[in-house]
Amino acid sequence: MQKEEIVNRLTPVFRKVFADNSLVITEELSALDVENWDSLSHMLLISEVENEFAIKFKLKDLNKMANVGDMIAIISSKL
Amino acid sequence: MVFTSFNFLVFFPAVLLVYFLLPQKFRWMFLLAASYYFYINIKPVYALLLAGVTLTTYIFTNLIVRTKSEKSKGIYLVLAIVLTLLPLFFFKYFNFVNEGIYGLLNLAGLRLPLPHISLLLPVGISFYTFMALGYTIDVYNEEVEAEKNIGIVALFLSFFPVVMSGPIERASNMFHQLKGKLQFSYEMVVSGLKLMLWGYFMKLALADRLSIYIDAVFKNADQHVGSSLLLATLMQPIRVYGDLGGYSLIAIGCAKVMGINVIPNFNRPFFATTMSEFWRRWHISLIKWLTDYVYTPLSFGFRKYGQWGIVIALNLTFIISGAWHGAALNFLVWGFIQGIALSLEMLTRKRKDAFEDRFKLSKRWWYIMLGCVFTYLLFAFSLSFGGDAATVPEVLKIFGRIFTDSFHMPYKDGDTMLYGFIAFSIVFLKDFMEEYYPGRILLFNNKNNTVRWLSYYTVIFLIFYLGIFSGEQFVYFQF
Repeated sequence: MQKEEIVNRLTPVFRKVFADNSLVITEELSALDVENWDSLSHMLLISEVENEFAIKFKLKDLNKMANVGDMIAIISSKL
Repeated sequence: MVFTSFNFLVFFPAVLLVYFLLPQKFRWMFLLAASYYFYINIKPVYALLLAGVTLTTYIFTNLIVRTKSEKSKGIYLVLAIVLTLLPLFFFKYFNFVNEGIYGLLNLAGLRLPLPHISLLLPVGISFYTFMALGYTIDVYNEEVEAEKNIGIVALFLSFFPVVMSGPIERASNMFHQLKGKLQFSYEMVVSGLKLMLWGYFMKLALADRLSIYIDAVFKNADQHVGSSLLLATLMQPIRVYGDLGGYSLIAIGCAKVMGINVIPNFNRPFFATTMSEFWRRWHISLIKWLTDYVYTPLSFGFRKYGQWGIVIALNLTFIISGAWHGAALNFLVWGFIQGIALSLEMLTRKRKDAFEDRFKLSKRWWYIMLGCVFTYLLFAFSLSFGGDAATVPEVLKIFGRIFTDSFHMPYKDGDTMLYGFIAFSIVFLKDFMEEYYPGRILLFNNKNNTVRWLSYYTVIFLIFYLGIFSGEQFVYFQF
């Protein structure tokens, strides 16, 4: 799957979890840029992303996600 | 050796002198020796435990990186965790578990004498155990490399500014500093000394002063009216902030003087408007540790249950945090109250945000103040369950008295209340200015020499004028 396609599918997931319909996903986007992106909503996001792509993350993967770019890389490695 | 002891006032300058006179490459070795001297000074035998935990950590982290098989890595990790936790469990929970078993046997009609161990908890054991565990798990998760030099691992776990009560450091922040150039930096020496000065003020002038009132009331709770109990309950968070916050500043300052940056532990906690924000500002190093090594794995495990998975993980994390603070039911209740409060905040957040947006509340000063006051009250009352020797029925009785018997004048201890109030006002004003008007009125960091030195001397004078010099212990040494 292309990066663009992953971003397109991630956008509605992010918008739903963070309740922000104008949120734009970039590779550099991280928890620092999004209001409400804390350790609580992070796990909801992880779970929704898993459902969207029908994949399972490992705990180790989570620690490697510093921004959306890292997340995309991990997702594409599992597809 | 306690930071507020005369011994430390001799020890620290002596260490500094030798440290900076030595060639750079020997400095870490000297720090290690000084740290062990500092720790042995408390009780020599306990240094063996520290050394044991160090050795366990060193061996298993290196085994984890050396083996290729994922399964063996997992086994080494579990073994390391169990072995590292063993001393802490033994000292902290042995009697608790034993009394439980004794009680059960008693119920069954058996009266077996079980040994009761009357050992004091080795100072700092919780803190270095947590640091060791964090490092081992980081190695397993490939976030830090396993250190080949056992001396560096030993220094990391025994580093004297933080060994007794934190901040709970991370290998990722410390190793490269301890192995790097430990240079003399004038700026760091000065800013470290400023932190220490402020830390001493918070501990001696604020925490120890309030302790007099709080102890006088809570040690004889039955003889005090509800208003005194209320006042002592409300003083409690300020006292712990002065105590652990002050301790942390002294620790961070000490390390900074030696050119080492230690993570912060408090960030003006009383200006948090919600409980979740409070926990990002209070005992930060412990909460971050719990988030990374307890909450995250738990919530990851429960993630298919969505929000409810997070609720379970939050509650379990805070109950574990409560159990760590003490092996008694009251600490579990404390953890549970926090878990419930945080869960409610999470579940209602979207609605609360919408409400605040609709009435444009989030920037109104009175709304912010209301949030701060509510958060403070919640924390203060939950903290009643976190006191030493407070059982749940006792605390509930105190609450009952607060709500039914508060129409009398509280117990008056003129000097303590006046001095405590002055010290609190100074700390509060400083935090208030830094929170809402950063950079507006500078004292310690003023460009003008006279203003700067005048502020140092004023604080030193205030420490002697308002402070208590009876060698009070730090609250967190018991954990």
